[in-house]
Amino acid sequence: QAKEFRLGLITPNGHSWNKAALKFGDELKAATNGRLTLTVFHSGQLGNEPAMMQQLQSGALDMGFIQAAELGSRVPHIAAINAPYIVRSTPAVAKFVRHPAAVKLFEVLPQETGTIGLGWGITGMRAVFSSKDLNSLADIKGMKLRINPTPVYRDFYSSLGAAPTPIPTPQVFDAMANGQVDGLEADLEFSWNQRFDKVSKVILQMNAVFMPMAAVVSGRVWQSLPAADRELITKTIKTTLDAQIDELAGNEPALIENFKNAPIPIRQVPAGDTEAVIAEFDKVWLPKAPVLAELRKVGATL
Amino acid sequence: MITSAAFVAIMLVGVPIGLCLCLAGLVYIAASGNPVLFQSYPLQLFGGVDSYGLIAIPLFILIGEIMNGGGITRRIVDMAMAFVGSLKGGLAYVNILANMFISSILGSATAQVAIMAQIMVPEMEKKGYDKTFAAGLTAYGGMLGPIIPPSVMFVVYSVLAQVSVSDMLIAGIVPGVILTVMFCLVIALMGYMYNYPRADYQTPRQRLMTILRTSPTLLIPIVIVGTILSGLANATESAAVGAVAAALVGKYWTKEFEFSQLPQMMLRSGIYSAIVLFLVAAAAVFSWVLIFGKVPQETAGWIQSAAKDPVSFMLICNVILLIIGTVIDGIPGLIMTVPILLPVATDVYHIDPRHFGVVVVINLVLGLLSPPVGLCFFVAAAVTGAKPGKMFMVTLPFFVISCVLLVLLSLYPSLSLILIK
Amino acid sequence: MYKLYIWQSHDKSSGVGAFFMIEQTMPATRALSLRRTVVRMSGALLAFERLALMGLMYLLTALILVNVVTRYARFPIYWIDESAVYCVVWLTFIGASAMTRLRLDFAVTMLTERLSPQHQKLAKVISTGLVVVFGVALTITCVLWMDPVGLARAGFDGRKLAAETFNFLYTERTQTLNWPTWVLYLTLPIFAVSMTVHGLANLLEDLGLVPRTPPKGFELSELDGVN
Ligand code: NA
Ligand code: NA
Repeated sequence: QAKEFRLGLITPNGHSWNKAALKFGDELKAATNGRLTLTVFHSGQLGNEPAMMQQLQSGALDMGFIQAAELGSRVPHIAAINAPYIVRSTPAVAKFVRHPAAVKLFEVLPQETGTIGLGWGITGMRAVFSSKDLNSLADIKGMKLRINPTPVYRDFYSSLGAAPTPIPTPQVFDAMANGQVDGLEADLEFSWNQRFDKVSKVILQMNAVFMPMAAVVSGRVWQSLPAADRELITKTIKTTLDAQIDELAGNEPALIENFKNAPIPIRQVPAGDTEAVIAEFDKVWLPKAPVLAELRKVGATL
Repeated sequence: MITSAAFVAIMLVGVPIGLCLCLAGLVYIAASGNPVLFQSYPLQLFGGVDSYGLIAIPLFILIGEIMNGGGITRRIVDMAMAFVGSLKGGLAYVNILANMFISSILGSATAQVAIMAQIMVPEMEKKGYDKTFAAGLTAYGGMLGPIIPPSVMFVVYSVLAQVSVSDMLIAGIVPGVILTVMFCLVIALMGYMYNYPRADYQTPRQRLMTILRTSPTLLIPIVIVGTILSGLANATESAAVGAVAAALVGKYWTKEFEFSQLPQMMLRSGIYSAIVLFLVAAAAVFSWVLIFGKVPQETAGWIQSAAKDPVSFMLICNVILLIIGTVIDGIPGLIMTVPILLPVATDVYHIDPRHFGVVVVINLVLGLLSPPVGLCFFVAAAVTGAKPGKMFMVTLPFFVISCVLLVLLSLYPSLSLILIK
Repeated sequence: MYKLYIWQSHDKSSGVGAFFMIEQTMPATRALSLRRTVVRMSGALLAFERLALMGLMYLLTALILVNVVTRYARFPIYWIDESAVYCVVWLTFIGASAMTRLRLDFAVTMLTERLSPQHQKLAKVISTGLVVVFGVALTITCVLWMDPVGLARAGFDGRKLAAETFNFLYTERTQTLNWPTWVLYLTLPIFAVSMTVHGLANLLEDLGLVPRTPPKGFELSELDGVN
């Protein structure tokens, strides 16, 4: 029968995830001659991610694009995908999130969160923007660093000797401009939109962590759908997310070119620096999320 | 439809606005045939105030409490007097200038009117001004409170619109200064027409002494701005530092503030913040059900068919907001209109959300100064005993000039965006 | 018209007297003792809310100042921002409950103030009655959401409840404080219940069933605005 779905996400209009959500709706509508339609609620209109999760669980909301940080704060098994140095480039991220090992992470979602994971979407590898000179990981020591406050990132940046400082997203630019923090970490797309290069002296491409998003469906709603519709939704969302992943990875060289034209240097972390960091991180996180070992093995092959 | 009908009906019975919003949300859910939303209802209420930006509200209100209790407000008026008191219509300028200065510390129009009317109106009456005019002018001076930073309304807006608090506060500076200048021009003109009196003559030496004696009050805004510029604190945290500065100035300079007064000041700040914050929470629930029912999308369609370009859209918004502002108060007005109008402004007409915020806030503040409901006039009336209706008539030139500012802002967005990086 | 309802403080001294009157002159029928219980409960809640509001304001100011100092000293405390936010959330709902009893809120009185005194009283009773209706409704939504019965049935095991009902409330923790979120959400059921009690006390006063009792310890003035 006819059904109108609601999909919520936290990113604003124009973000590549939002474009993917709208495209998903269009394709769903076209494939069913308008029987299944989708309304996208952007910018957290229906509430922040915890509020959306609650609505997904109760069945008030049908679908959501939820960041790995939110799912990971509920399920350490999912948080493993945020671990540092599983893969080391955005093209590798693009391959990794479509690998069966990454998709298999979703198996715990129904039981742990009441949602069904249908696929990953991505943002690029995160970089550190700093108001003091940075050449290597060692230079991060002692920095007041604004981070995304997910436990995995906190442990990672703490192990580098930084003092992780949570600053609400809309205030990050100002905090950087007036020196409340010495640096921040973010993906390049967001950083270019916010023009963090204008308040920084150097960009250090960490090639360590990335923040993917999971397209999830309410478990309650999923149960109520006929098998044919489930199949169609799964297939449609896969093709849309594939396109999002390829486009984002494809745009990265142009983005880096933009930053190279900015008057501040953009540097890379030498690969040799990372082994001790990985060992320290895994000592804490392997017991919490044993799947991390497998993810590292898969990541190394990409 | 049912939601809005229920909302209007219970509002007219005199049910507090926050409760109206909450109840309308419940009615909508009951009527929507989607009872599962009831389970999300408490969390949406919680989520409405689960936001870092709102922390500034209790802190701003606390500064006002401490300043008033510490006799700092009084000294600010003395200082303005030393600067412009001896001009023709001197006390009228003093009124506006002191209001502008206090606006840089306080965030609320009605609080400001209440404080300033007590001090300025008797003073102006003594010098031969009409009481109604004096009270009305003070009410317009209070209008600067929410426009010049800091401003509780801008904080609420920045949370609703998800823009940076500091950007919003900075965006108010230029329009606020323009408004002050416009007010002064009106005073000059009216002073010439009605032959306004001058204040007592002060010798240059007396003036210098007054300025020196009152200058420590300048510490408060200096501390606020200084902590932000030096990176010591963000806009929110600077309010806490400013409260400490106000307490110290009140204790050691004016010697009118005692730490034993602090618990009552804390209590009052807590209660007054809760009034604002509960409205924010209630509005979050209300706008959540509206969004769920896709009301904003439909309103957007209607406005789009009426407005062909950003300027005509802004002018339509001015009219809508002014009408809403005449019956509904500042923050509730903000909370009811922004979720509906902002998506249209940004997505369809590509209007900068910060600029839009400035226009919305000024419109709604002007609503506080227009009949039938003008809260600022009522406050001024309560303090001074002047008649609110007459107040509006004798200060009509100020209303007109404020509307001129709104049209200018609608035509030239750069007026609010110029200082933002 | 808009009006900031403020409890009139002019008869501060008569407050105690009014209290004695309830205590001494009312016949102790069951209905009356029930009314008295409601008013007393409301009074006790308000006294507690008064202290809580002061405490939360001190706490908020202290947290923010500590944050400024520790960040400047390069030892930022990770969980302060989150604590300050939740501090304000609790301030909101405790304050909202207190202001119900203090009759301190924005309301549109444009229509009601043109009515006859009798109709005004009716409007007042409807308006206060709706406070009670909302308090009860919010309590119900809180029970639906927090599912205390289901939780008890699941042996107070949040994970088991989640598996049985898809309600994951008791398995979640906050991001930086790492507290169970349900502890913080408790402010809502508390608010719902205390608002109901305050609403009932106001309703009894508006119906003329008990004399008005001015609240103690609040020096609010009509002059302090809020917008
Ligand atoms: Na201000
Ligand atoms: Na008005």
